[in-house]
Amino acid sequence: MSRIFITGIGVISAIGNSIAENRMALAEGRCGIQNNLDLFPTKYSGVLPFGQISVSTASLLNNFKISEPGVTRTTLLALHAFAEAIQDGGLSPEKISAAETALVGASTVGGMCLTDELYADANKNSNGSPYTSSYDYASITMYLQKHYKMNGIINTINTACSSSANAIMYGAMLIKNGFAKRAIVGGVDSLAKYTINGFHALHILSSEKCTPFDENRKGLNLGEGAAFLVLEKEEDITGKKVYAELTGYCNANDAYHPSSLSEQGDGPYFSMQGALQSAKLSTHQIDFINAHGTGTENNDEVESRALIRLFEKPPPFASSKANIGHTLGAAGAIEAVYCVLSLAHQEVYANLNFKQPIAATGLVPVQSYKKIPLQHVMSNSFGFGGNCSSLIFSKA
Amino acid sequence: MFYIHQTYCISPQRTFPQVDLEILNHPVNKKLLAIEPLYDGIPPGILRRMGKAIRMGVGAAMPILKNTNALNGIIIGTAKGGMEDCIKFLNQIVQYEEGLLAPGNFVQSTSNAIAAQLGLMCHNKKYNTTHVHRGLAFENAVIDTIMQLNEHPGNNYLLGGVDEISDFNYNIETLAGAYKEELISNEHLYDRDSPGSIAGEGAAMFLVNDQKENAIAKLKALQILHSEDDGLVKNNLKQFIAAHLPAGEEIDLLLSGENGDNRTLKFYMDCEGLMETNTAIVRFKHLSGDVPTAAAFGLWLACQVLQKNDLPLHMIKKPFTGPHCNNILLYNNYKGLQHSFMLIRKY
Amino acid sequence: MDTATLKQQLKKQIVEFLNLTSVDPESIKDDEPLFGEGLGLDSIDSIELIVLLGREYGINIQDPKEGRKILVDINTMVAYIEQHRTK
Repeated sequence: MSRIFITGIGVISAIGNSIAENRMALAEGRCGIQNNLDLFPTKYSGVLPFGQISVSTASLLNNFKISEPGVTRTTLLALHAFAEAIQDGGLSPEKISAAETALVGASTVGGMCLTDELYADANKNSNGSPYTSSYDYASITMYLQKHYKMNGIINTINTACSSSANAIMYGAMLIKNGFAKRAIVGGVDSLAKYTINGFHALHILSSEKCTPFDENRKGLNLGEGAAFLVLEKEEDITGKKVYAELTGYCNANDAYHPSSLSEQGDGPYFSMQGALQSAKLSTHQIDFINAHGTGTENNDEVESRALIRLFEKPPPFASSKANIGHTLGAAGAIEAVYCVLSLAHQEVYANLNFKQPIAATGLVPVQSYKKIPLQHVMSNSFGFGGNCSSLIFSKA
Repeated sequence: MFYIHQTYCISPQRTFPQVDLEILNHPVNKKLLAIEPLYDGIPPGILRRMGKAIRMGVGAAMPILKNTNALNGIIIGTAKGGMEDCIKFLNQIVQYEEGLLAPGNFVQSTSNAIAAQLGLMCHNKKYNTTHVHRGLAFENAVIDTIMQLNEHPGNNYLLGGVDEISDFNYNIETLAGAYKEELISNEHLYDRDSPGSIAGEGAAMFLVNDQKENAIAKLKALQILHSEDDGLVKNNLKQFIAAHLPAGEEIDLLLSGENGDNRTLKFYMDCEGLMETNTAIVRFKHLSGDVPTAAAFGLWLACQVLQKNDLPLHMIKKPFTGPHCNNILLYNNYKGLQHSFMLIRKY
Repeated sequence: MDTATLKQQLKKQIVEFLNLTSVDPESIKDDEPLFGEGLGLDSIDSIELIVLLGREYGINIQDPKEGRKILVDINTMVAYIEQHRTK
């Protein structure tokens, strides 16, 4: 089956509106999480920290010259990252519209970022806002399909926090199995009153900036963002800029509880082990892991246990969620982009805010930017519903 | 591309546990509501937390889970997931002004809760995913299953399509113009020259692998397409049939997703125009409703036909002319934009 | 409200709030563990019971871990309600 390479990337997050800005911020150890949420009225504005993107919805609409109604912030963020990815990948409009070009998106919020409008429409308290067709998870991918006149296989995946990791996997499989020649894959989520209140009700939001893998971690910070990657076959990359190769992946399930991982972490363990098997690599060949590392008590300890169980002595690892927050449906894709940047530039970025290892596991993440030789990098995404996915990227 | 060995369907009609489509159940308050079974196999402690989408999905899968030893994955397509739970949590946010909120509805509202619950109930730690691409959510789940079997021959997968219609998503869809404004009986769904279709819900589950022996049906080919151009859709369908129908054979049955909406009728008429004189035509949306994952109901229906279950007159637009039904074409579209063609055979 | 009546009321509220449709409130023993064996509730239920205490009795429990110490059985819950209720 074909080898899969990444030839274009695009990203927007709380630390930057482009690949270059994100990379610089990561190298400098910058944190984009602040207490100044101002996207919609919520009692948590100024109270809880969030990774809000500094670009307003109005200016995103303006940048893309969108005047039609019903386009949500989630869609706009996706549009922004998608536009960068296809330009970075040098894809012409003809190639994008070809029947052999697939699009696989992911989102856990969809158009529900407009929580108040959704309430009004769902309870029929209005004559219908402009968003009645924009609430579902597919609305973003459908908008991209229409905007770019795409004619290949189009799909949207929602497996909670592992959504866009699975989107990357699905895109790679479409190419390997002959359903597509290339795939533009990724995910997006914008901050939403719905998710903020959901996570708050579960008592897993921290009132401070999150501290992944720290003994005194208090929970996660929600963030927003989008990222897309262009995946192409080996036969088609001659003369192109190639960032990295997607060499392995696996999706496994923890099958323990709807919203927390089991103590022994079978889901994380099997997804990492399966990714290694699919890449035909052994544990000692992984040079760095971009951990899921949300900063919650449950995830970080379970992920640590699974790392020790599989690797015995885990390789260097770090979570980027202390820089940008947990971007849910976008996390898998944004972190894949960060892994790909790591490989392309042979560098790793710091896990911010770390002071003290978790007593039960003793693992210490990378705490400062460094240039190190990297051949193979793993990225983990573990979500509600026990949905665990791991991706392996290798130096091209 | 894969063989179906078991299939079950919970729908607004008598489809579970026994199948009897002769009597047509009617909408209640304009909605074709699923007939839910007693769910004996689901422990009460788990059942109490499940919203309808999860109940239907798990309920339809239970007989498969009971009869199957080793599942290698669970692959679900659902456009909306647990919509009722979603709106319940939303209403809490407003009612309690972002104050003290009970998180159960939030956790159950996530789209992947159906596949997750299935994994939990059979302790399955393998591949588990949820496709949510609106009118092609189920079809993408089918493509995913095909690819899984390609890469892992000999495996077994639970494949399903689920969608529920709650008061809330009904309101949103109504505001978006999805349903007929006039009150009609589903018996007359196709008779009115007016926009809109009818709301429905249901779950269809399939045990799928690459073993021909003892299979109920074979999904030979599938194609999906996004287009509002009826000419383009017709051309694609023509090419699909030419590419996949065995030489010298005909489509014996067209299972049509015609839904009573005059805005999308042209697609179905074009499709009928491509059929041979002897092709029987059967419609099913008056049974299932115009659900985003309606193709799952259609695939289940194809399996019924291939198991020699007769179809009632109210489904038949053009009758069968012969005793054989070897090739079934399932054509469906959602809102005249998302199209799928499936070719289903006995072997 | 006397303790016995409060216990009865609480049992009904728990069954209703957690949608325990197969459980008869009267069948819940006062000292039957709510979590693990007994009623078999889980971590999401514990958060939901904290919400119940807040909404019905005006009791504010911030930390779910602290909450678990109160949510052992009907007896411990009722004792806590009688001491801390503001409604």
